Amino acid sequence: MIGATDSTKVLSPAEPVGRRWARTRVHFVTPTMATSAGMSGTQNESGAIGARSGQTAGSSAGLADLDVTDPVDHRAPLILGAPTFHAITEVVARPLERKPTRGWWICFLTSVAMVGVLGVSIGWLFWEGIGVWGLNNPVGWAFDITNFVFWVGIGHAGTLISAILFLFRQKWRTSINRSAEAMTLFAVMCALIFPGIHIGRPWVAYWMFPIPNQMGMWPQFRSPLMWDVFAVSIYGSVSALFWFVGLVPDLATIRDRSTGIRRKIFGALALGWRGSMRHWQHYEKAYLILAGLATPLVLSVHSIVSMDFATSQLPGWHTTIFPPYFVAGAIFSGFAMVVTLMVITRKAFGLEEIITMKHFDYMAKIMLLTGMMVGYAYSLEFFIAWFSGSAYELFTFKNRAFGPYAWAYWTMVSCNVLSPQLFWFKKVRSSLVWLFVLSIFVNIGMWFERFVIIVTSLHRDFLPSSWFYFRPTLFDVSTMIGSFGLFFMMFCLFVRFLPVVATAEVKTVLPQAAAHPPQAPVIQFDEQGGRGATGAADGRLGLAPGGAV
Amino acid sequence: MTDHAPSSHSRPAVLLASSLWLPQGHAWRRFPLVGLVLAAVGLGASLAGGLASPAMRSQLWHSWLVGALFALSIGLGGLFFVLVHHSTQSGWGVVVRRIGENAMATLPWMALLFVPLIFGLGDLFPWSHADAVAKDPLLLHKQPYLNVTFFLIRTLVYFAIWTFLALRLGSLSRLQDKTGDHDLTRRMRRMSAPGLILFALSVTFFSFDWVMSLDPHWYSTIFGVYFFAGSVMAFFAFMTLIALGQKELQPRVVNEEHLHDVTKLMFAFLVFWAYMAFSQFMLIWYANLPEETGFFAQRLAGSWRSASIALSLGHFVVPFFFLLPRTIKRSPKASAIAALWLLVMHAIDMYWLVMPSLHVGSITLSWLDVAALVGCAGVFLAAFGASLGRQALVPLRDPRLPESMTFENQ
Amino acid sequence: MGLLRPSLPPGDRFGALAEFADPAELYHACEAVRDAGYTKWDAHTPFPIHGLDRAMGLKTSKLPWVVLIMALGGALAGIGLQGWVSTTAYPLVISGKPFFSWPAFVPITFELSILGGALGAVFGMFAMNQLPTLYHPLFGKASFERASDDGFFLSIESWDPKFDPDRTVEMLRQLGAKEVELVSS
Repeated sequence: MIGATDSTKVLSPAEPVGRRWARTRVHFVTPTMATSAGMSGTQNESGAIGARSGQTAGSSAGLADLDVTDPVDHRAPLILGAPTFHAITEVVARPLERKPTRGWWICFLTSVAMVGVLGVSIGWLFWEGIGVWGLNNPVGWAFDITNFVFWVGIGHAGTLISAILFLFRQKWRTSINRSAEAMTLFAVMCALIFPGIHIGRPWVAYWMFPIPNQMGMWPQFRSPLMWDVFAVSIYGSVSALFWFVGLVPDLATIRDRSTGIRRKIFGALALGWRGSMRHWQHYEKAYLILAGLATPLVLSVHSIVSMDFATSQLPGWHTTIFPPYFVAGAIFSGFAMVVTLMVITRKAFGLEEIITMKHFDYMAKIMLLTGMMVGYAYSLEFFIAWFSGSAYELFTFKNRAFGPYAWAYWTMVSCNVLSPQLFWFKKVRSSLVWLFVLSIFVNIGMWFERFVIIVTSLHRDFLPSSWFYFRPTLFDVSTMIGSFGLFFMMFCLFVRFLPVVATAEVKTVLPQAAAHPPQAPVIQFDEQGGRGATGAADGRLGLAPGGAV
Repeated sequence: MTDHAPSSHSRPAVLLASSLWLPQGHAWRRFPLVGLVLAAVGLGASLAGGLASPAMRSQLWHSWLVGALFALSIGLGGLFFVLVHHSTQSGWGVVVRRIGENAMATLPWMALLFVPLIFGLGDLFPWSHADAVAKDPLLLHKQPYLNVTFFLIRTLVYFAIWTFLALRLGSLSRLQDKTGDHDLTRRMRRMSAPGLILFALSVTFFSFDWVMSLDPHWYSTIFGVYFFAGSVMAFFAFMTLIALGQKELQPRVVNEEHLHDVTKLMFAFLVFWAYMAFSQFMLIWYANLPEETGFFAQRLAGSWRSASIALSLGHFVVPFFFLLPRTIKRSPKASAIAALWLLVMHAIDMYWLVMPSLHVGSITLSWLDVAALVGCAGVFLAAFGASLGRQALVPLRDPRLPESMTFENQ
Repeated sequence: MGLLRPSLPPGDRFGALAEFADPAELYHACEAVRDAGYTKWDAHTPFPIHGLDRAMGLKTSKLPWVVLIMALGGALAGIGLQGWVSTTAYPLVISGKPFFSWPAFVPITFELSILGGALGAVFGMFAMNQLPTLYHPLFGKASFERASDDGFFLSIESWDPKFDPDRTVEMLRQLGAKEVELVSS
């Protein structure tokens, strides 16, 4: 349990709340103390529970009866300080009720300008045709599909955080899930642009949907590109639903704090949510089920994207590890993007107590893990290219590493496999500068991964006469930059108008949210079972003392 | 749900540490003996029957390999669970961690199961024959990797890695039972992250060597992950059974919340296995490249076709729908049925991986299949039982034990 | 109980509203109200309180069944659409594959079953909760705004057979409510 010694003053509205509550000194109270004082779960005026001065961190085994702290040093509280419920509401809702800062305007206008670039690039593409890109005969896909796969991948971390970590009861997700889910939606939007425009004829895009039409024509469902249409659009839809369901209680919070037209808008969006426990019950069930559905969905989406390549017969594309390998890569790049965005958002909105270094530490570890998973896949591909004994396979992989695109390949390897190795060091994981720089590296590396897969496999065809070197044109680059503009513009709008942190969920991880903390049995070391305690006889095969209680 | 959540004002219940050991005279104390008997009978009969006639020899080694893979994979799953438990600083899993530790303690003994197979290499692996290699340009190409010496060295390395990790983590955990030192938790965590890397690589190449190279022309990059997925699922099925027993013994320590988590993991890996199996099948089926399709062509011909269909239904569809409801995952009886069923399916999966290279075209069951499987499972049971009796059923002084005992699912 | 109109007690009294200091107090009050035999009542909290559904004696949500049916419906629609299109409506020979290539139909079938399940979960939940309900008598109380911030409320509706303006309010007071008031419709 956490108690605060001097948090009795009422928060003054002028002061940034996050920093305010951080100044309060925090003490750990062992449950025995709390229980004996009879104040388990009671809240004093300041909202901090079990406030007692002079008691310092306890390390007795009983501490774990509340899941806010951990006897082994590395699982400190998720939210720093001992904020009240109201303080959480304040710190999240305040930025939405103030005028936007200059920094926000700079970010927003820059990204709007980039969206302008995107519009011009796409307009020119439609006017002129895909000849404005650097595509050529063997390289029929390049920047367009690279960007598509990159953006779909970015989205995956959002779903991982909101769904998979939810199923694994990783409570630290509550601080970042909202913004990561928003990121998912915007990334899917950016992704969907590219298959839409990459044939240069968007007016026939509806051919991909099973709509009865005057031509009597139907989609060809055995094509993996059709699977993509369904997978990505359903991914977008389900992510939006998931996100909206999570938002409803927080929209109600904003509604209840505002007046006038704002109150009406948020009131309508909140659907009349009134925090009813009968509602929460169905709501929690729905959330759990959505997490259960989104988990296989997110795995399937990038698997299906990988099948665009892997179902083909092209060396470098066709290999069975592709589905899990793409998923790992997607999560890897997505977490890098979450880190990039969170470093900025947390600073800009003063969320240091909610998005703590601990969150970054976990995210860095996930990047380390997934970075090694893609490293595993890179190495296996090489091994099997040799092991298969197929001359074409072997050629493609040698060509990747030592051919004309070797620079891209080694950029990818150094960014994706080597640079995350720095995350083994606690110092790196706890430095925002390092985290930011490495997350950018990973973003670059993962973009290059898709580029390497697509372009190096295509550029040297089975017919040497058609070999070609792909060079991007200005419009390849401007479309890519423009898509980043769209992503950042959407994110700027999100942080301006919606709560960036899932306040209702963050409140549940505060210690005072537990109405009914369970109490663990205490283990008493008796003569026989506690042999360990006295250090007596080693247990030998089958000879251990068991026995009656 | 009710008995472990007393109101916050009551005094905590007291458990005697001695009650957290497997009681003297408990049926499980006979595991080592029963296991050894099964092993002696099963493996003895296999050897006697298999070596009696040269015609049966090939059958013997293939059946033996199926049994050995089955037993080994559960031990590997246990090691994986413990590694993940430590590296994620898991809280909930402390009370069932010993199941993983006892399962991984079998790994050194599993090496013994692979020793006799050295004499069967000639019958198992076409690439071990110099004349066959000389005639086959592909095998010639693979010879730097697929040759008996390097193969044995690699196998030794795999078992050395697993034995090292299992013994080290096991002894640190037992040490903590005595000292309660928190630093041991940190030490176990520190070795688990690199341990996972070693584990991933060794399991991948083990499965390439001992299973994929049964058909040395065939290759699939996902194969290691496929083998891993099935192994971990089998381990969680095994864990479900043991956790149920532990729940009977120590209802205050292991309750249906833990059962629910274990069965959820079993379910998750069941789905993960299906995901790997389908990815491998669909990509090879779709691209239809002659150098890859052999593996599935064999398994979709003759009576193997029905085995493949049975496997996809029995290893995925049926248990998936069965395990879907929450009540099933929390019910001791239903989850025990599912766990037993999945263990049988895992054995069939191993059979399906190995046997088509011996019985091309149609399934030919042999009594050796059963004898070798029972024998290998017996060795596993004996080693598991020995480890079970040697230490308390839960890590007594793990700092997160109280958290684990009181955790609740949402 | 039409859309946007909650099911409310008849007459001009909605019921009683009590505010409690923290989750634990609300929890114990809920246990007491449940044991007193009330049926038409509710708790209002800014976040879901773990275990409160049990303290209130709520039955398990039936939502999973809706989701299962919707997911199976999605799967059937997926396999049906693809099978019909590929064998009947628009058969095409593609890379020598059979018209009914089930492995190639798995991805879309799977995606549609997820879509069905997700729609079932979200809209099923809204339907079970009778949301959207933009008007509710409780919104008339200024203090109730804190139910989405840091207030923990318990409401007992007037059409509960056990409801009695005086005795119910008295009971809530005795349960330790900070404040109890009667709410009009």
